[in-house]
Amino acid sequence: MSRRVRRIAVAAAAIVTAMIWCGSSAPAAVDFSVGIRYVSDTGSLSECSAKAKQSLDAFLLGTSESSPGSGDWSAHSANGVNGTPTATAVVRCFGLARGFVVTFTCAVQLPDNPFTADALCHDVAHKFHGSGAITSLAAIPTPTPEPTGCAPNSLVGTWVSDDNPKLTFSMGLNGDLTDSEGVSGNWSLKGTTATLIYYGNHTLTLSADARHLHGGGYSLTRKC
Amino acid sequence: MARIICTRLAVLSVTLTLAFGIAGRPARAALDMYVGARNVVKDGTVSDCDSKASRALISVLGRSGEVGDTHEWEATGAVDTAGSSFAAAAVHCYPLDGGGYVVTFTCAAQTPPAPETASVICSQLADHFGGQH
Repeated sequence: MSRRVRRIAVAAAAIVTAMIWCGSSAPAAVDFSVGIRYVSDTGSLSECSAKAKQSLDAFLLGTSESSPGSGDWSAHSANGVNGTPTATAVVRCFGLARGFVVTFTCAVQLPDNPFTADALCHDVAHKFHGSGAITSLAAIPTPTPEPTGCAPNSLVGTWVSDDNPKLTFSMGLNGDLTDSEGVSGNWSLKGTTATLIYYGNHTLTLSADARHLHGGGYSLTRKC
Repeated sequence: MARIICTRLAVLSVTLTLAFGIAGRPARAALDMYVGARNVVKDGTVSDCDSKASRALISVLGRSGEVGDTHEWEATGAVDTAGSSFAAAAVHCYPLDGGGYVVTFTCAAQTPPAPETASVICSQLADHFGGQH
């Protein structure tokens, strides 16, 4: 095997290993609830629609009818930690010769959502029917706000090297860092002792005003 | 010799940085739910609807099951190694007075990793359902 082929093989193996490693975290799963249906011998499609809207409004946001007069209603939860809704419910009304039939279908993202699709559908259906226990649904966890300023408990922000102002580091909420040339690493902070994993491990000390990091061959100042 | 080792290490670092950069980009998994078609079929029975619903779900998601004895059919998509599924669909059949039935399609997907959106799943279900005679 030639030297060049060997190098390409090593590079390919490194890429595959890194991608498998990065992709190994299990994403959330869809939890689905089907099966609750009410049939009413009395009432009209518009009455069903009014109750559908009211029952969805009680637990979710953005209730809307898929097309005016269709009787198909849906709504979603507040945004979860990823910035998108983690629960949705659909209530579908259909007018019969006498009365109407209504079905309830729900989907939630687990484990991001704090309640199951069954719990949501039961609550919406019980509210619609006006009977049955309503369980309080836990609030959707909201995204953690990015710290601003020079927080003493975090290194989040932009740091500039005192020795070379062209060298900057952007440190993120999740412990990630990227320098001005796109090279990435990680940071952690315990008390005033910071560790940067960036071309090796470096131990630095955070100043009392949380603006300066010194040690490990680096001297950095945070923009804040 | 030292120069060769340094060059190789540098190439490996750049390669790993690129690979981590590409693969580590956070994919925002979003929950997608779709209110699919609703069709009224006047010349069929609810058992016809049941058969078609089951077959359509098997064709699209690979499985199907009736919720009790309700004529409401559901299926979840293929599961990954952790036992998680990222797509699901429901087909509701309901008999009408005087014959015929009404059928509805409702779908959910988490994209990524589900390859199809909820809208596409519902469209495929309606096509498979309607294509059976």
